Amino acid sequence: MLIGEAAIRAGCRFYAGYPITPQNELTEYMSENMRKVKDGIFIQSESEIAAIHMVTGASAAGVRAMTSSSSPGISLKQDGISSLAACELPAVIVNMMRGGPGLGNIAPAQGDYFQATRGGGHGDYRTIVLAPASCQELADLTMDAFDLADEYRNPAIILADGMMGQMMEPTVFKKAKPRNYSESFMLRGAGKGKSKIIKGLVLPPLEMEEHNWKLARKYQVISDKETRHEAFNLDNAELVVVAYGTAARITKGAIKRLGESGLRVGLFRPITLWPFPVKALRELSHKVKNFLVFEMSTGQMLEDVRLALQGYANIDFHGRPGGVVPTPAEFAIAVEREFRDKDTYGRQF
Amino acid sequence: MKGIVENFDLYAPKLVDKEEYFSSGHRACQGCGEALAVRLMCKGLGKDTVITNATGCMEVISSLYPTTAWKLPWIHVAFPNSAAVGAGVESALKVLRRKGKIADRDVKTVSIGGDGGSVDIGFQAISGSMERGHNMIYVCFDNEAYMNTGIQRSGATPFGASTTTAPAGAASVGNKTWKKNMPEIMVAHNVPYVATACHSYPIDFINKVKKARSVKGPAYIHCLAVCPTGWRSSSDTCIKLGRLAVETGFFPLYEVENGKYRLTIEMPKKLRPVEDYLKLQGRFRHLTPDQMKQFQERVTLEYKKLMNKVKYSKSWLEM
Repeated sequence: MLIGEAAIRAGCRFYAGYPITPQNELTEYMSENMRKVKDGIFIQSESEIAAIHMVTGASAAGVRAMTSSSSPGISLKQDGISSLAACELPAVIVNMMRGGPGLGNIAPAQGDYFQATRGGGHGDYRTIVLAPASCQELADLTMDAFDLADEYRNPAIILADGMMGQMMEPTVFKKAKPRNYSESFMLRGAGKGKSKIIKGLVLPPLEMEEHNWKLARKYQVISDKETRHEAFNLDNAELVVVAYGTAARITKGAIKRLGESGLRVGLFRPITLWPFPVKALRELSHKVKNFLVFEMSTGQMLEDVRLALQGYANIDFHGRPGGVVPTPAEFAIAVEREFRDKDTYGRQF
Repeated sequence: MKGIVENFDLYAPKLVDKEEYFSSGHRACQGCGEALAVRLMCKGLGKDTVITNATGCMEVISSLYPTTAWKLPWIHVAFPNSAAVGAGVESALKVLRRKGKIADRDVKTVSIGGDGGSVDIGFQAISGSMERGHNMIYVCFDNEAYMNTGIQRSGATPFGASTTTAPAGAASVGNKTWKKNMPEIMVAHNVPYVATACHSYPIDFINKVKKARSVKGPAYIHCLAVCPTGWRSSSDTCIKLGRLAVETGFFPLYEVENGKYRLTIEMPKKLRPVEDYLKLQGRFRHLTPDQMKQFQERVTLEYKKLMNKVKYSKSWLEM
């Protein structure tokens, strides 16, 4: 619901969705509220693939467009997401992750990290991935996602989980920035000017190569400019937990408990999962030598942390896949055990 | 020649299989028409059956691991591909029989799905299976919305029904589109057997399942299933609503055998007003007299079209 309201406030005027648990609240909110705004269009499509391609069409016509789903539905949408990236069209895709692979279950999980940050579909592309950890951030990052998608003409993904989707917290909506998107990108009839073309099929290999490098240069700019992270309790920390989304919330609760028992733990929370805040994490490794990656998966962001730290620090991992959401107390006990037990520390599984 | 099936009504209770293949103790809501329909279908199919089940209520309520309500070989597959998996199972059985790896028995593959998994996201898989002519049955249990995920509209939702993604209000009548005529689309695939059914007419339904089972080639059955939760009706009206849907002409029961239409139950000479059916359901509570009239006109028209097909399809075939 929060995402829906934030999207409408950010100027989203097209939403296409398909029923899947646990994100139906958003679809239902849009069905009721899209019609209340001028030119707002809500469509419940006949399939996930239809929904993403409807978004492609709306985006090509220059409308701020969004779709949402949960893990298996996002897998179906990959065809369209790859196409959006190839055509350089902005769009916002919300993924409320659930347990996988396959149909998995409908409990909160973080197993779609690879899919979201590595492109997900076929071809050489990336999507901007934002990982909120509170209701306030759900609202703020949804608005930012539209701005980022427009700025770089690239699909942006909000990667949250079923837990975030069902949460209630007081939230203040920020004022949406005026849209900065050139009319020349929009297919709204050429008038007397030159025909406008949006192209995703580039047959000559040399031309395709040029297009790939163009995209790559764009991704480089995004990587340089758009990384975001939150640092929490890092002063004098002997151990830093790297976690995002719901896992980061659990970590914050655990940090307090660990502090009481005399273990100084900090939290490094990437807000952009792609681009991953490599530089900030690497700088941190000059001060702290012990890292613990905590994910509600069997270890996906772990690889990005390893790439960022490049062996300059010890990395341990704690994972709870399958829709299990540990309590802060449970996690605190796990951290203490793993950190204190030097024999097993640093071993992955 | 009048076969046993034609006279089935007379001594039907004795001929219905006593064995339960869809056992009790599952988690369906009170008064669930769909669970009843699945149970009846299984009775019609008998034990030599493999079921493929698209995601939906029937999978969720019947197979909460490690328990199961199914006494037949049963496979749960993703939302869009029940018919595709059914086609695969059928082909695999054929190959295994040909190679002599399994006994040469008539094992029927039956794919089932809800209306969302059949008329929306699973449509192309059904169309493909029917077109390729697999020796299988597809049964669509149509409760007229995505009930499993929380009553979102589907292509099978009737006009005017209020759902969570097509809510009725001051400016909206609820669902704006008419129900997709899926049986007719299947007839257009030129499959040997297409039928509509409802759990409120159990013998008729079982007969149709048996007939579909005996057909060589693809068969399609569209079964209306009352959903008290999603229709906002009281659970004791489940059977009544099914009967009213038929008696008002909203969902007539017919079968199409090799292109020939036939009504399978005796329809009243004068149909009941569709209002009788609509007023028992909370999802239609907001309809104005004008909208009721619109609904009635559409039902009358569709019924007339069907009666014409029943009347003339025989002569079409002889031309």
